[in-house]
Amino acid sequence: MRARAAAAAALASVGILAAGWQAGTHVVEAASVTTGAAGTTGASGTTGASGASGTGASGSGPGTSGSTSGSAGSSSGSQGSASSGALKNGTFTGAAEETRFGEVQVQIVVAGGKVTDVKALHLTDAERRSAMISATAAPILRSEVLQAQSANVDTVSGATVTSGAYLTSLQAALDAARA
Amino acid sequence: MQPGPEPQPAHAALATGAPPLLARTFLAMGTVVSLTVAFPPGAERGEAADRLEAASRVIEGDFEALEQRFSLYRDDSEASALARGVLRLAHASPEMRACYVEAVDWRRLTHGAFTAERPDGVLDLSGLVKGRAIAAAGRSLAALGLHDWCLNAGGDVLVSGTPSPSSAALASAPRGERPWLAGIADPADRRTLLGAYPLGGAPPSSDPSGSRRPATAGPRLALATSGSAERGDHIWAVGGGKPEFAQASVAGPDMVTADVLATAIVAGGRDMLNLAVAHWDVDVLAVTHDGELLATRGFRAPRAA
Repeated sequence: MRARAAAAAALASVGILAAGWQAGTHVVEAASVTTGAAGTTGASGTTGASGASGTGASGSGPGTSGSTSGSAGSSSGSQGSASSGALKNGTFTGAAEETRFGEVQVQIVVAGGKVTDVKALHLTDAERRSAMISATAAPILRSEVLQAQSANVDTVSGATVTSGAYLTSLQAALDAARA
Repeated sequence: MQPGPEPQPAHAALATGAPPLLARTFLAMGTVVSLTVAFPPGAERGEAADRLEAASRVIEGDFEALEQRFSLYRDDSEASALARGVLRLAHASPEMRACYVEAVDWRRLTHGAFTAERPDGVLDLSGLVKGRAIAAAGRSLAALGLHDWCLNAGGDVLVSGTPSPSSAALASAPRGERPWLAGIADPADRRTLLGAYPLGGAPPSSDPSGSRRPATAGPRLALATSGSAERGDHIWAVGGGKPEFAQASVAGPDMVTADVLATAIVAGGRDMLNLAVAHWDVDVLAVTHDGELLATRGFRAPRAA
């Protein structure tokens, strides 16, 4: 699932880059990379035969907050006329996108007017991946919850107790022991 | 003044070993507020009790000040005057209007799941006021020079530091501080615990991988739990149906955020839960009416994470 999310981001960047290139500009404006967290619907990113169309990623559900505006993408290719709509051959590097889950940056290789390779230069590292996991609330068993005995806790959180109900609460017992 | 414990000689405290936790409680906002302060080993108990007593009085004032203005249970409050229609919001105090603006902001941010309007149309800012009171009390405690404390107001918790501070002589040494461990009450039986969540403690050590920003979650200093287990239907489901969750606990960096989101999740159900974990740096544990649990990683036992 993580891989899908990463792929979603990568494909989105490719799509943006390709679209920007086709339009004859190297500046990627208002590109929004949305990384879906684990469990999301993933991406629909297509690079057609012309390599010029990318529909980008659609990550819905948890984890969609990590959208950032893209800055200018740099390319190592020469200035293209873009008159034909075909992609210029060369290697192109998208702008690094800072998302909530880490930095995402991709590079594409274009040969014969087609995208022939996609590389992820920056993907979320291991710890950032764990941050992705924590950004979803998944069903769990009671035995999977971090457990504590009432004797071991320092305080108790619960739905607001009235002052009357407090008298019989665990918190009252803790407070009494520390009076 | 309540009679405090008899002052004891310092060597008596030193001999006990474990750092003392002292607590005071007072009534506010229809519930009980507990202030627990941790003192380093060797702290003189009488002096510690005096400091706690003084701090407790100060934060009691913080709660009282907000209650005086915002309580709908007091006929002479500004909120009651607004509810009766004898005062208009445009003529209300800057404090009232600021709170209203914040409530409107939260309603927008939570897509309507959190709202300050009761079904009968009366402006009810109580969903925000308790969190603000706790946050204000926390600022007072910091201003009083207290570092290690746990404030619990009717089940909403804000902490600072650790329950096991090192002694003053070691304060400059690297502190391996254990967090405050907060139990989560089971909505089906509030005398039992559903689980626990660590709050505060030592800040995360710097990331050895050298990444530009901390990869781990931000600080978790506040924990709020909302539900209908105790006070009946004080949360209204969006759309008027029965709330999907019996209880929701939210741990986050600050009290108001945790409190508002916990309320919003109970009102807004699973959609709001997903929105909360996506847009805020929080951990959530939600309990359905069937007793099923939904949790982010922070609420899971390490082996299950």
